[in-house]
Amino acid sequence: MRFWVLTIPALAAACAAVFAVAGGFAPSRSAAGVRTLAVAERDFRITAPTQVRAGAVTLRVHNRGPDSHELIVVHVTGKSLPLRPGGLSVDEDAVERETPGALEPGRPGATRDLKLDLAPGRYELLCNMSGHYLGGMHTMLTVR
Amino acid sequence: VRRKHDFTPFATRGRRAIAAILLTFALSSTVTVALSIWATSGSEHKAAVLQIAARQRTLAERYVSEVLLERQGVRTDPAYTAGLLLTSANTLLEGGTAPAVNGDDDETDLAPAQGRVVRAQLEQERRLVIDLTQTGKAWLAGRPEAVTLTAHEKLTPTDPVGRLRVLTALTSSVSLNAARTIATTADSNVSKLIRLQVVLGAIGLVTSLLLAFALIAATRRQTAHFRSLVSSSTDLVLVFGQGGCRYVSESVVQMAGRSEKELLGDGFADAVHPDDRGVVHAAQTTGEPAEAVFRMVNGFGEWRHLEAHVSDLRNERRIRGIVLNARDITERIRLEEQLTRQAFHDGLTGLANRALFRDRLDQALARTTRTQDLLAVLLLDLDGFKQVNDTLGHDAGDQLLTEVARRFTAATRPSDTVARLGGDEFAFIAEGGHEADAVGLANRLLEHLARPITLGGRELALGASVGIVVHRGGPGDSEELVRQADVAMYSAKAAGRGRYELFSQDMAREFGELLGLEHELRLGLQRGEFTVQYQPEIDIADGSIVGVEALVRWNSPSRGIVSPGRFIPVAEATGLIQPLGEFVLREACAQTAQWRSAGRLPEPFVTWVNLSAKQLDGSLSPLVRKVLESHDLPANVLGLEVTESAVIEEGPNSLRARGELESLHALGVHIAIDDFGTGFSSLGQLRSFPVDIIKVDLSFVQGAERDPKDAAITANIINLAHALGLRAIAEGIETDGQLRSMRDLGCDLAQGYHFARPMPPDELGELLSRGSAQPLARDAQPAQA
Repeated sequence: MRFWVLTIPALAAACAAVFAVAGGFAPSRSAAGVRTLAVAERDFRITAPTQVRAGAVTLRVHNRGPDSHELIVVHVTGKSLPLRPGGLSVDEDAVERETPGALEPGRPGATRDLKLDLAPGRYELLCNMSGHYLGGMHTMLTVR
Repeated sequence: VRRKHDFTPFATRGRRAIAAILLTFALSSTVTVALSIWATSGSEHKAAVLQIAARQRTLAERYVSEVLLERQGVRTDPAYTAGLLLTSANTLLEGGTAPAVNGDDDETDLAPAQGRVVRAQLEQERRLVIDLTQTGKAWLAGRPEAVTLTAHEKLTPTDPVGRLRVLTALTSSVSLNAARTIATTADSNVSKLIRLQVVLGAIGLVTSLLLAFALIAATRRQTAHFRSLVSSSTDLVLVFGQGGCRYVSESVVQMAGRSEKELLGDGFADAVHPDDRGVVHAAQTTGEPAEAVFRMVNGFGEWRHLEAHVSDLRNERRIRGIVLNARDITERIRLEEQLTRQAFHDGLTGLANRALFRDRLDQALARTTRTQDLLAVLLLDLDGFKQVNDTLGHDAGDQLLTEVARRFTAATRPSDTVARLGGDEFAFIAEGGHEADAVGLANRLLEHLARPITLGGRELALGASVGIVVHRGGPGDSEELVRQADVAMYSAKAAGRGRYELFSQDMAREFGELLGLEHELRLGLQRGEFTVQYQPEIDIADGSIVGVEALVRWNSPSRGIVSPGRFIPVAEATGLIQPLGEFVLREACAQTAQWRSAGRLPEPFVTWVNLSAKQLDGSLSPLVRKVLESHDLPANVLGLEVTESAVIEEGPNSLRARGELESLHALGVHIAIDDFGTGFSSLGQLRSFPVDIIKVDLSFVQGAERDPKDAAITANIINLAHALGLRAIAEGIETDGQLRSMRDLGCDLAQGYHFARPMPPDELGELLSRGSAQPLARDAQPAQA
């Protein structure tokens, strides 16, 4: 009988270990005090504030699905952004020097921060995955 | 919860731990394998889904191509491709059978999509497919502006081709994205699975380890428990195998006072008594005998008796040896020895008792049967021990016996057996040597005994009668030997004390006869077989009857008339003389009193009663006085006849006898010396005796007639008697010539067949009435006692 006394807590400890490993970890939050702009991506639309003051800013990008999306911030200097020769997406190489920051494609439901130091000007927030830009995934942000 | 009152056998505890370990392994293995199977089957399914999802991109591009070709007049079938696109998108979402595309692949059965994200993406995909096919269909129909978009897209291009291309890109992107989501979901499931399996494995491992520890701990406890049982037990446990002792319990170590190291191997044998090593060696090598008793020296150098139960467990896998389970039985053995000692030794002297003596004698006889050595048995009876007991008390008697026993032990060899058979009777067994050695031993015993013993302030010198029987080897009967020694001792006693006699067969015959007589005498006394007859004594001068001699007669039913010469010695030797003598005395006195009251007694008249020397032990005079008083008889009608030897021999007995006679004489009782002339005493000693009459032995009386020497002796005796103021009576007068010669020699009285034979009291009464006994006309009658 006696070894059961040892065995039962052992099993309990082992089970606790399972939950600890399998349960994942809580996401860390960014520090408060920095201006944060909420950016939401849903279907083939991007919803974001249209104006912001220049300086350090954090874009909190929430992909609300259902698809994966990236977020590229491009400083718009001309009338419109140049397209790649196929005509289905923005030529990122051409505007690379005008791109203060970008987020690689994120999974639906993910929230990611993009820290930027924006100079005054007009900026386009877009998703450049195949067809997404031309399908409507872009919005304008004016920095004063 | 552990219930204390439950006793769990150790074996069960061990089995449970092992079972729990196995169960844990089985459980975790089963879960792992089941998860693997589930994951594998899920992966197969996902591969099919991925294939269909990926196919959507190809189908979308093909649809756009077919629409463009159709617009340029090439015959294609965009509607069919649109159907494939829509069916596939639907199937991916809701499940069902995905169609084959132109025989490139097979129809595929899909389950409805699982997971919120995947389902959202696949719904988006379906909407995009609808938008794409509707846009294419409207353009082909020439009404491109009529299309309502459903997938929340806001297409930048306005021309139909541009819109179709963007929609195709979106469809492709979303389908690939959905495929990627499915794939990564599968991947994460697999990685979760792997983690789960790792954890399960870890749990199994940890549990198994814990259980194994528990098992080991239980086993240790069990071992420790048994070890402590074995160690704390007073039982000695030893295990023997090849090369001697392999295990000794703590108790063995403690008892032997040696270290375990010393005892293991051959060391244990050193502690065993040399005589017992054979038994122990046999037990430890063969397992036989099953019960072995042996001695072992303990730490104090003292031999302990061990009783071992031997178990042959050489075939027992866990032992592979012979186990000795021994108990210390020393105390029991000591107790047994003590009991044996009590049973076989005399409590007073510590000598062997009768039982041990018989046992030793049986053993000695068994030995002599083999060796043909001589074997001597001596029986010794102390003379006069009863007096010591009577006069000095039993304590003194006990002291005397103890001292005697000590002397006897000193006088014998250690190999001889000295036993006290009871009372003052001792026995000895001497083996080997010659007959002379047995005699030598008897002499030594008598010599040791003769040295004075101081007892209660008095010095005593004891004598003893020793009977010796010598057995000359070969088979023999111990009872017979003891009986023979007894006969020899009896013989020594009868021949006068303070001596030994060697047994002979003649002695045995005589003794056997005596024994028979003794028995019948005893019975005869009880049955009244004894009678008293009377023989008149005549005054030679005038022929008048002046007295009678009372003579005891025994008419035995088996032997007929037995001569007093035959049974009196037996009665004397056995002590029966006391009751017999008393009977005669009472009978004679009673008869005399009867005659006297009948007025038949002449004056003077004396009734003579024969005494044995044995009766003169101090009890006679009170008896005589009592008997005379009871019959109202004057003392002077009673005469007592004693033999010469009874009073004249030197020694304490004769002194006491003389004292007794003196007191009787003082009472007025007449005393006569019987059979005078046959002893070797000095006639001069007669003077100091209280004697009234001397009876001249019939051998002189009957010889005096013809033999001048006998006549001279008879004359001397008669003259001496007269000189001492005594009278003389001639016994055994049978002829007239004898009577005349006695008369010539001046003898006073006469007795014999010539006058009258011994006769019953009534006949004698008639004779008394006549006043005299005339000589009978009969010659050559047999002599009477």
